[in-house]
Amino acid sequence: MENKCENLSLYIIDELSEHEKEQFERHLKTCIPCQNEIDSLQEAWQVLSYDIEETDVPESLKAEVMNFIFEEENSLKTNEVKDKKHSFLERFKLLLTKQFSPLSAGITAVLIMGLIGLLWSNLQLKDTIIALENQSVSPTQIVRTFNLKGQDLATSANGIAYLLQDGRDNSLVIELNNMPGTKDDEVYQVWLLKNGNRQNAGTLKPDENGNGLITYRLPKNHSFDDIGITLEPNPNNTQPQGHKVMGTT
Amino acid sequence: MKSKTDEELIELIVQNHRPALEELYDRYVKLVYSFSLKMTKGDGEKTKEIVQQVFLRLWTTKRTYSSAQGKFANWLLTITRNIAIDLIRKEQKHTGAIQLELNEWRQIPDQQTEDVPQQVSRNLLKHQIQEAKQHLSEPQRRLINLLYWEGYSLSEIAELEKKPLGTIKSRLHQTLKKLRNYFSEETGGVRHGK
Repeated sequence: MENKCENLSLYIIDELSEHEKEQFERHLKTCIPCQNEIDSLQEAWQVLSYDIEETDVPESLKAEVMNFIFEEENSLKTNEVKDKKHSFLERFKLLLTKQFSPLSAGITAVLIMGLIGLLWSNLQLKDTIIALENQSVSPTQIVRTFNLKGQDLATSANGIAYLLQDGRDNSLVIELNNMPGTKDDEVYQVWLLKNGNRQNAGTLKPDENGNGLITYRLPKNHSFDDIGITLEPNPNNTQPQGHKVMGTT
Repeated sequence: MKSKTDEELIELIVQNHRPALEELYDRYVKLVYSFSLKMTKGDGEKTKEIVQQVFLRLWTTKRTYSSAQGKFANWLLTITRNIAIDLIRKEQKHTGAIQLELNEWRQIPDQQTEDVPQQVSRNLLKHQIQEAKQHLSEPQRRLINLLYWEGYSLSEIAELEKKPLGTIKSRLHQTLKKLRNYFSEETGGVRHGK
């Protein structure tokens, strides 16, 4: 405790380190002799400041002091604003330099360049594929041609059917002329024949001049031998009910 | 402005009221100036620099002064002394274990004696301190001069005096006690102890 009391005068003249100061303040709370001494000794130290000759102050000093204070304050404020503007970019730079060593920055640059190269070649490849696909799709070609001739009710009728290869699909286009008109629900129905089996390939009604056109997209790999057309009393039949009026020759 | 107390002026300063700062300047500049002039041994330029720093500190202070923390003039002089010592030490390029962060608040005695006009009170104090100094020994007077007015630290003084630090510490204690005892006799021992 005596040791701590020795620090009283050092505390008063403020020559203790922060740590020593805290220690002494704790000591002061419990040490009656120090408590009795501190105020009067502190006052003695303080009174030393009055050992001065009072001097007249130059008139100009006030303006100088006030200018100094308010200019200082203004420049501090401007600096703060500048600092804020700068700090964003600088913090970003600092972040980058913190995160990337020269080596990792180099590696990153190489990786980014590689990525761009890959993207570019990928785009090129895509273009080439599209060009190739277009080549294989076009042109549309006629694979087979069928002549159709009328019979019975429609002896005057005739027509042509084309089997087209359109890319990977096949489609059938049938053009008919001089067809007798249809009454009420009556329709002409197209059938595809293969080994005695018939498959519905759509219905049509001719126009007033007896012309008709029908297209039918064939399922993949579907083939047939002949085409027959019947006059049906109503549409959407799965098996022919009416008479055959036209067929391939 | 003239009728406001120091405390009220400080509160206005905290609210950035410039006329309040000017009023405090008018009241105390003579004290601060004279004190600084002694610290700088009569150097007018350095004195100006100190006065500017003191009032800048007063203007930018975020702490509100209250009379409970002691006499305003003492507070102001403590600030002035710290600023002056900073300046002196910077110029002397003294480095090492010198504390620049001094706590002004803690040094202020808890006293309220200002019933007499300030100028009279100041002259009285000056008279007292000069009387008291007569009672000090030559080494004690030298210690006060180096420590208080020239801003040397105790260890620097120990080096200058070629004495162990412990000797200088106890010399300081004896000197403060002697001064204290003289003042308490002069003022009838009113403020002796608690």
